[in-house]
Amino acid sequence: MRAFLYGAVLQWKLDIRSKSLLVTCYLVPLIFFALMGGIFTSVMPDMKDTLIPAMIVMGVSMGAFIGLPPSLAETYGSDIKKIYAANGVPLCFGWAAMYLSAFIHLFLMCLIILLTAPMAFDAALPSDLPLFFAALSIYIAVSLSVGSVLGLTIKNQSKLTMAAQLLFLPSIMLSGIMFPIGLLPGPLITAGKIFPAFWGYRLMLDNGFLPQNLWYLSFVFLITVSFCVILLKGLRRPPQRPF
Amino acid sequence: MKIEMKSAVEVRGLQKSYGSHVVLKGLHFHIRTGEIFALLGVNGAGKTTTLECIEGLREYDEGTITVNGTMGIQLQSSSLPAHIKPMEAVRLFAAWNRVTPDRSMLNALGIKEIEKKQYLQLSTGQKRRLHLALALISSPDILFLDEPTAGLDVEGRRSLHSQIRALKAQGKTIVLASHDMAEVETLCDRIAILKEGELAFCGTPSQLTDLVGRQFTIQLKTRQGTKIHKTRDVADTLLSLLAQEKKKGIEVLDIKVDRGTLEEHFMELTGGVKS
Repeated sequence: MRAFLYGAVLQWKLDIRSKSLLVTCYLVPLIFFALMGGIFTSVMPDMKDTLIPAMIVMGVSMGAFIGLPPSLAETYGSDIKKIYAANGVPLCFGWAAMYLSAFIHLFLMCLIILLTAPMAFDAALPSDLPLFFAALSIYIAVSLSVGSVLGLTIKNQSKLTMAAQLLFLPSIMLSGIMFPIGLLPGPLITAGKIFPAFWGYRLMLDNGFLPQNLWYLSFVFLITVSFCVILLKGLRRPPQRPF
Repeated sequence: MKIEMKSAVEVRGLQKSYGSHVVLKGLHFHIRTGEIFALLGVNGAGKTTTLECIEGLREYDEGTITVNGTMGIQLQSSSLPAHIKPMEAVRLFAAWNRVTPDRSMLNALGIKEIEKKQYLQLSTGQKRRLHLALALISSPDILFLDEPTAGLDVEGRRSLHSQIRALKAQGKTIVLASHDMAEVETLCDRIAILKEGELAFCGTPSQLTDLVGRQFTIQLKTRQGTKIHKTRDVADTLLSLLAQEKKKGIEVLDIKVDRGTLEEHFMELTGGVKS
């Protein structure tokens, strides 16, 4: 346990030193929030009620789908994973440490949005903060588990970037955070429901913590975490060395 | 009375295939406690697979491997995160192995001097020293070094050789895979050469020289140019050559005699390109 905690804290520090995670977990989401927060609330004053969950869905999706997978691919697609085997440490140790570290970084980014949005854009705070934090934690956990599947399955960084964008862009465009979902054609509304962002956004809205918004996220979480465990078990044996 | 030393590693009938490709065809050898042992072979001979099977990093199909003692494994330089600092890596490995890092060992390897740098900022020599320190964290009985001096300059190589000798003096068994035949010749007590998944040779460097046959190269420099002769009987050939030159009235300006290197013997035995 001591070793795991040290590893998790160390991973948190390494993520700060790694500029890519800093950019995807803090810089871009917060710049997007600063720019779009002003535009959204000026063009659509009603968005003041939903600005915080909308910006959080965008930031968490970016950090989880674009920030985490390259770190996982770097570790599990290279010789770094051998250090676990050579020291008798389970392979899932690295994944768990990266997952936990990214969770804390994303949670901190969301806190910054939550604390500054009311002052900067007169955004409405969630009426039930404990329930909001529960919904936020669930959404971060689900998004990171989806991002983990990407990072553990795709080793090529350019393919990984492409796959992450294919997941990130529809998550943002079809979840209803940018504009009312009713403006979209029917098939796109249905397609949007495939992505966790659609349900995470609704779960974080006031009075949105309901079973109908929770079940799909729970289902995705179970499936993706199980998939990650299977992938890590498959990685336990070092890759076959071609001659 | 001859005292039989207990083997640090015993490999019996080791077999490994990747699909239909048989990489190891029943290897038998042992590594003595306290010796420096090198595993050599051309590309694809199976030396990395053999090492990884012994280290427990790779599964094998048949055979038995007995390791008497704890193992420390020095991995290659791509096996740490880019932004980790040396002392952070040391503390992480110490936490995994539930030990306290040995300060004197860290000082001897110069880890304190580089503690503020990130891994990606370290030179090749500094990375090698860090990986050696990490392999030594748990004070293992047997140390596995994978190409320990690859990419090092002469000074770095000399420094690491003296550290390896110091570890041997402490009673540790050292198993290494190396590209450098000169290093193997000066550092190792015994070597094993793999050829197409089989053991082509296992013994001391001088036994290898004897096995292949010692060949000398004699260079005679005269005003007419330099003549090169290869021979196994250096004394007779040299005397005969000098007599011939004297008979022709040619003045010999310089004589140079070279003993065949281990690398030449290795090439003769394996008939391939070393790796």
